[in-house]
Amino acid sequence: MRKVLRALLIIHTAILATACGTKTSGAGDDSVFKVALLTPGPISDQAWNSSAYRGLERIRDSLGAEISHIQTKTPAEFEENFRQYGAKGFDLVIGHGFEFQDAAQRVGPEYPNTVYVTTGGTGTGNNIAALSFAFDEPSYLAGIAAATVSQSGIMAVLGGTELPPVKASFAAFEAGAQSVRPDIKVLTAFIGNWDDAAAGKEQALALLSRRADVIFQNADAAGLGAFQAVRENGKSFVIGANADQNAVAPEVTLGSVVIDLPHAFLLVAREVQEGSFRPRVITYDTKSDVVRWVPNPGLTVIRPHVQAHIESLRAQFVDGSFKLPTAATP
Amino acid sequence: MEALAALWDGAFGSPFAFWSATLVRATPLLLLGLAVAVAFRAGVLNIGAEGQLLLGAAAAAAVALAFGDAPRLVLVPAMVLVGALAGAAWSGIAALLRRRYGVLEVISTIMLNFVAAAMVSWLVRGPMQEPTRVYPQSSSFADAAHWPFLLNGQRLHLGFALGVLAAWGLWWWLEHSAAGFRVRAVGGGARAAASAGGVDVGRTISRVFLLSGALAGVAGASEVGGVTWALYEGLSPGYGYTAIAVALLARLDPRWILVTAVFFGALDAGAAAMQRDAQVPSVVVQIVVALVVLAVLAARYVHARRLAQRAAPETA
Repeated sequence: MRKVLRALLIIHTAILATACGTKTSGAGDDSVFKVALLTPGPISDQAWNSSAYRGLERIRDSLGAEISHIQTKTPAEFEENFRQYGAKGFDLVIGHGFEFQDAAQRVGPEYPNTVYVTTGGTGTGNNIAALSFAFDEPSYLAGIAAATVSQSGIMAVLGGTELPPVKASFAAFEAGAQSVRPDIKVLTAFIGNWDDAAAGKEQALALLSRRADVIFQNADAAGLGAFQAVRENGKSFVIGANADQNAVAPEVTLGSVVIDLPHAFLLVAREVQEGSFRPRVITYDTKSDVVRWVPNPGLTVIRPHVQAHIESLRAQFVDGSFKLPTAATP
Repeated sequence: MEALAALWDGAFGSPFAFWSATLVRATPLLLLGLAVAVAFRAGVLNIGAEGQLLLGAAAAAAVALAFGDAPRLVLVPAMVLVGALAGAAWSGIAALLRRRYGVLEVISTIMLNFVAAAMVSWLVRGPMQEPTRVYPQSSSFADAAHWPFLLNGQRLHLGFALGVLAAWGLWWWLEHSAAGFRVRAVGGGARAAASAGGVDVGRTISRVFLLSGALAGVAGASEVGGVTWALYEGLSPGYGYTAIAVALLARLDPRWILVTAVFFGALDAGAAAMQRDAQVPSVVVQIVVALVVLAVLAARYVHARRLAQRAAPETA
């Protein structure tokens, strides 16, 4: 017991010793524009998280900002890191997912000089905004392209977990496919996580064995397994999500449904830096050119008249003459 | 060097870092470490603390959501109690399987972890989903269900005090009570305890299982009541597994678990700071944490060997 007490005493002295030393260094230089990013997964996923990190890098390069990134897993960590960044005088803190919105609501009022932005979600406040992406619009276009390529008449959507934006995107994909081929079947599967590439591959193989020949995956790091499965199969196609994933497996990737996160992040960061920031749900859609369907330029399987149809729909999204029948993405 | 400084600062560098980061992270590890330790002391390899935590969290969240208008003095103890019961019920399944059918608890508890995780995922998409039915999470609890903070302006909550009490209580129980002695006897050698000591091994093991589950359940209640104030999936980053290291590093001694839980909490908090302040990638952080644990274990082994060598000539 005495040993325990001694250990606690040492820890306590250490805290007292360092408590005064670090306060000054933590504050940093106030004139520098500081931006932080919290991602829910690894930035090596070539999708949701890696494109967010590229957005952070673009903010650094274009606006001369000092940047910091952390990967967080649990709601408790979201809040703790929001607080730490607020205390360090960061100007903009981006929580990369709707799951960060509760933490932003709780921490935002404590640090009024920091702007908290969540990618997705609907929560706003004096210094809190949410980014919303009309990811369903390009998903609809991808559905059209995929349906015209499918031989078997069976396609599949493969997600990480059942999150609202993912489900909305899959619904739009199916609606797009059925708009050109009413009898087409779309299978749905969820991996159960966003980082297990082996599990992603298993699920993709299972879908392929059920004769699906186009897989629209949206599973970040786990989704990379789907690319492997389709590549080994060789007779089917895969569609990327969130980032331009056409280079992951160029010979079998039909295209990617892209959110241009670097562009979106830069727009928000510029607002905050210039002081023109207003708290709101900031919607980025086809019109603002943040979301788009990017066909793989190396493949020629999408026929020209389909390309033209997609292009005309894209133009209608931009001028507002065509809106999706499904409810807008949350 | 800068990275190590960040590690230190993030864990102990400021009052906020210590009270609100390190100790808040240490709280579930403390309760779960005790849960693992009490089971291991009786030779029960309960790997299921993770699942028991999730069940405790879900049950406590259900209470908090259903009785949000009750006074805090009633609601918080009710969350503790129901969390403990739910955790015990979950470990009770494994206990029953072992006693009735001889199913190895290592297998059953691990499997029950997966079931528990899936159950929470289902709850936050089904019966306990927030009213707009968009996000996979429950509504936020009413204020009365927020566990009290222990210090003004810090995030440290009641759960840590419960953990310290439990550590002390468990130590006393194991060392100074007849029931605790039976637990240690069964852990030391079940057959000897039964034949020489007349201990009812099956009953002792079942009871330890329930106690272990209850402690883990309280850890779950403490996470939702003290930290998140809502039920989410992905509530625990694998606390139940880290807790095994916490308990083993403390050689299953409840008093030392207090120290090792704070140690792991500090590593966790420091690791976050390493990412934030020194921009060390998270995988590198995990490697550093693993190396620190290995170093501590190795140091202890070397120390033990030196003691043995010093003792050897005297006996010769």
